[in-house]
Amino acid sequence: MSPRLAAWAVLALVLTFLIGPFVIIILAGLSAGNSLAFPPQGISLQWYLKVFTIESFQASFGMSMFLAVFGTLAALGLGIPAAYGLNRYKVPGAETVRLVVSAPIIVPGIIVGLGLLRYLVIPTGIGITLALFLAHTALILPYAVRVVSASIENLRTDIEEAAVLLGCTRFGAFRKVVLPNIRGGVLAAFILGFVTSFNQVPVSLFLSGPGVRTLPVDMIAYMEINYDPSVAALSALLAFMSVAIVFAAEKFLGFSKYV
Amino acid sequence: MSDFLTLQDLTLAYGGTVAVDRLNLSIRQGELIALLGPSGCGKTTTMRSIAGLLTPKSGTIRLDGRDITRLAPSRREVGLVFQSYALFPHLTVFENVAFGLRLRREKDLDAKVRAGLATVGLSDFADRAPAALSGGQQQRVALARSLVMNPKVLLLDEPLSNLDARLRLEMRLELQRVQRETGVTMVFVTHDQAEALALADRIVVMRDGAIEQVGAPEEIWTAPASAFVADFVGFETILPDPETGGALAWRPAAVSLGHGPHTGAVRGVSFAGAAREYVLDTPLGVVKAETPASEPPLPLGAEVAFDLPRETAARLPGTL
Amino acid sequence: MFSSRAEGLALTLPAAVFAAALFLLPVGILLSEAFRTAEGGWTLMGYWEFFSSGRNQTVFLRSLKLAAEVTAVAAVIGYAAAYSIVTLPKTARGRVFGLVILPLMISPVARTYAWLVILGRTGFVNEALVSLGIVDSPLRILFTETAVFIGLLQLFLPLMVIALVSAMENMPRDAIPAARVLGANWAQVFLKVILPLTREGLVIGGTLVFTGSLTAYITPAILGGSKVLMLETLLYQRVTVANDFVSASVIAMILIVMSFSANLLLKRMATARRSRAAS
Repeated sequence: MSPRLAAWAVLALVLTFLIGPFVIIILAGLSAGNSLAFPPQGISLQWYLKVFTIESFQASFGMSMFLAVFGTLAALGLGIPAAYGLNRYKVPGAETVRLVVSAPIIVPGIIVGLGLLRYLVIPTGIGITLALFLAHTALILPYAVRVVSASIENLRTDIEEAAVLLGCTRFGAFRKVVLPNIRGGVLAAFILGFVTSFNQVPVSLFLSGPGVRTLPVDMIAYMEINYDPSVAALSALLAFMSVAIVFAAEKFLGFSKYV
Repeated sequence: MSDFLTLQDLTLAYGGTVAVDRLNLSIRQGELIALLGPSGCGKTTTMRSIAGLLTPKSGTIRLDGRDITRLAPSRREVGLVFQSYALFPHLTVFENVAFGLRLRREKDLDAKVRAGLATVGLSDFADRAPAALSGGQQQRVALARSLVMNPKVLLLDEPLSNLDARLRLEMRLELQRVQRETGVTMVFVTHDQAEALALADRIVVMRDGAIEQVGAPEEIWTAPASAFVADFVGFETILPDPETGGALAWRPAAVSLGHGPHTGAVRGVSFAGAAREYVLDTPLGVVKAETPASEPPLPLGAEVAFDLPRETAARLPGTL
Repeated sequence: MFSSRAEGLALTLPAAVFAAALFLLPVGILLSEAFRTAEGGWTLMGYWEFFSSGRNQTVFLRSLKLAAEVTAVAAVIGYAAAYSIVTLPKTARGRVFGLVILPLMISPVARTYAWLVILGRTGFVNEALVSLGIVDSPLRILFTETAVFIGLLQLFLPLMVIALVSAMENMPRDAIPAARVLGANWAQVFLKVILPLTREGLVIGGTLVFTGSLTAYITPAILGGSKVLMLETLLYQRVTVANDFVSASVIAMILIVMSFSANLLLKRMATARRSRAAS
C-alpha cells in the first residue's frame, strides 16, 4: 500500500469514528417509528417537528440561550478590561490575577456547581437563574480573557499614544482605536464563549430547579425517561447550529486564527 | 522670539532608573532641532516627556510662555510622528488625518484634511487603507495627521530610520520643505549623525541622560566639545595633547600617510569608493587614516610613516 | 502612559474578584467539608471512610484505568492520524484538520447520545450482528466500561490529534527523510525521531485527554449509568441520593488535585521548552 493511500485510509477510519455518529443521529431522528433505532423505521420529519412542541425543551432552550448570550456578554464586560490591564500595565500580582481568572477552566465544573448551590444559593436565597448566570459568566471568563489578550498583544501601543496626542481621553483612545482593532478577537471570544456555555453540563447540573434547567441537562433528564427519537432530532439540530455558527465565524472572520 | 520651548532641570525616570538628569535646553520658534545620541542616551525619553507621554520626576517644560509640565498630552499643542508611524489600521488615510480634527469638532474638516494631504503629496491616497501604502507614504500620512492639528512643536522619532537610502534623501528634503512652508518648530530624535547634520539648524548631542554639546551642524562637525562628540561625528583618532593638557582629534583624512615622525603597521585596509581606509597599529595606539583611492594600496603588515599635524586636528577642551 | 498601578488594578481586579468569589470561595469551602467534624473540629476520618469503601475504591480505580486507557489508545490513533494529516497537501490538510476539530464545537450530550443509537439493544451494531447471524440475541454493550471507553475516546481524541499535529508541524522539515536516508526503518524513525521531537505535543495532548476523561460527567452518565460509575457520576449520585457531602468533598479534592497537577505539568513543559529555545 502506498504511503499516500495508507494516510487516507487512516483518516477515513478516524473521521468515520469522529463524524459518523452524527450522521447516525441525524438519520435516527428521521425515524417514522416511536422508538430509537438505526436504521430508522421509515422516514418522516415528525420528530424534528415534535422537539419544537415539547414544553420543557422550549423553556430550557430559552434558558440556555439566555445564559450563553448574557453570560458571554458579562464575561466580556469583565474580561476585556482585565485582558487590557494585564497586557498594558504592570499590575501588581499579575500572575495571581491570571491564575485566579483562569481557575474556572481548571476546576471541574461539577464541583463549582455544587459549591455554588450549597454555599451561595441555599444560604442567600438567590434565584437559581441568577446563580446559573453568575456561574456561566465565570466559566466563560477565562476564554474571554485569553482570546481578547491575544488580540491586544498583537496591537501596538503607540497608536493609543497617537490618539491621546490627537486629543482623545484614555478611555476615548481605547474606544476609538483599540476596540475597533480587536473586534475580530472580541467576536471570536463571544462565539467561543457562547458555544462553551451552551454546551456546558457539569456546572449547570446541580443548579437546576423547578422549571429552571439548561437544555443539555434537560436532554439528559429526558432521555433517562423516554426512549424516543426526539433527543436524536434535537441533538442533530444542535449539531447543525454549532456547525453553522463555526462555519460562519470561520468564513467571516477566520475564527480559527483567534482560538 | 527666543526661548519658545524650554526644558529646565528636567529629570526623567523609568521605573527606578534615571534616564535624563537635570537637563536644560532652550529652543527658538521655527527652529529645526536634532536630538542626537546613541541608544539609551535619553533622547527619546526627553522627546516623550515634551509630548506628555511621560511625566517628569522634576523640572519644568515651558512652551510659548505656558508651563506644560503636568498638562495632558492632548492639551499641549504638540504633535508627534512616531517611529513606526502609529497609523490607525482600521481607518482610511483620510480618516487618520481627520482623527484629531474631528475630536476638536473643527469646521471645514474636509478642506483641512485635503490641504494636509496635499502638503505631503498624498491627495490621491485619501481612501486607501494605511496597510496599502509604502513605508514612506505611511510616514507622510503620519506627518500630515500631526500637521493639520497646527501644533506649536512637531516632534519626530527617528523619522528616517525605517526608510531605505533613496527614500531617506527624499524624506529629508520633504521635511525641510514642510518646515519652510509651515514654519513649525521641529524637534527630531536620531542616532545618525549624518541625518542630524543634514537636516538640523542646531544639534543637541546627548549622552547618558545629559547634554554633551549644543551647536550648529558646522560647529559640531568642526569643533566638537568633547571626545565623545568628536568620536560620534567621525574623529576616529583621539590623542592627549601634551601642550595644553587637553586632547586632539583627527578624522582619517586629516592624518597624512607616507611621511612624518611616527610609524605604524597596517592592520586592516578597506576600499570605500573614493578613498581607501587604513587601520594602523602604532605605539600611540590605533590610528585610522585614509588615502585617495587613486593611490596604490599599502600591503597588510607594512610599516608606514605618518604624521598627525596639529593644524588639521580639532582641539578638545578637558582631558580624555 | 501605562505606568499607573491604580489604573491597572482597576481594570483587572473586577474580573479577579469575581472569579475568586464565585469559584475559589465555594470550592474552597466544599473542599474543607471532608476535614470537619460535626462538632467543628478537624479530622481525616472522611478520607479514611471514603477510601475504605469497596465501591468507592472500584470507582476511583476504574476512573483512573479508563482515563489511562483512553489516553493510551488516543495517543496511538492520534499519531497515525496526525502523521497522515501532516503528509497531506496544504488545502486538504486544512479541511481534514477542520473536520477533526469540528466535533469539539458540538454539544457533548449530542455527541454521546449518538452512541446510544449505535450501541443500544436495538442499535446499529446489534442489528447488524443479529441480522448477520453472528450472535443470536442482542449483546449488552451499553452500560459497560466498553461503551464509556468508546464515548470518551470519541469525545477527546480530537484534542490529542490537535496537539500532535501542531507538534509535528514544528518538527524540522527533513528530519524523517534524513533518518530514512541514514538507514532507519519505520519503527526506528518513530522511536528515535518522531517520538522525541513530538514529546511535548504528546504530553500536552495526553494531559488534556487524561484530565478530560477523568473528570468526565456526560459520557459515564449516559453510557455507563449507575452500573459504570466514574468519579463525577459518583459525586452526583452521593449528593442527590444520599446527601453525602463528605464523599462529594473527597471526590472534589481528587478531581482538583489531578487537574491542577496536570496543569502544572503542562506549564512546566511549556517553560522548559521556552528556556531551551532561549539558550
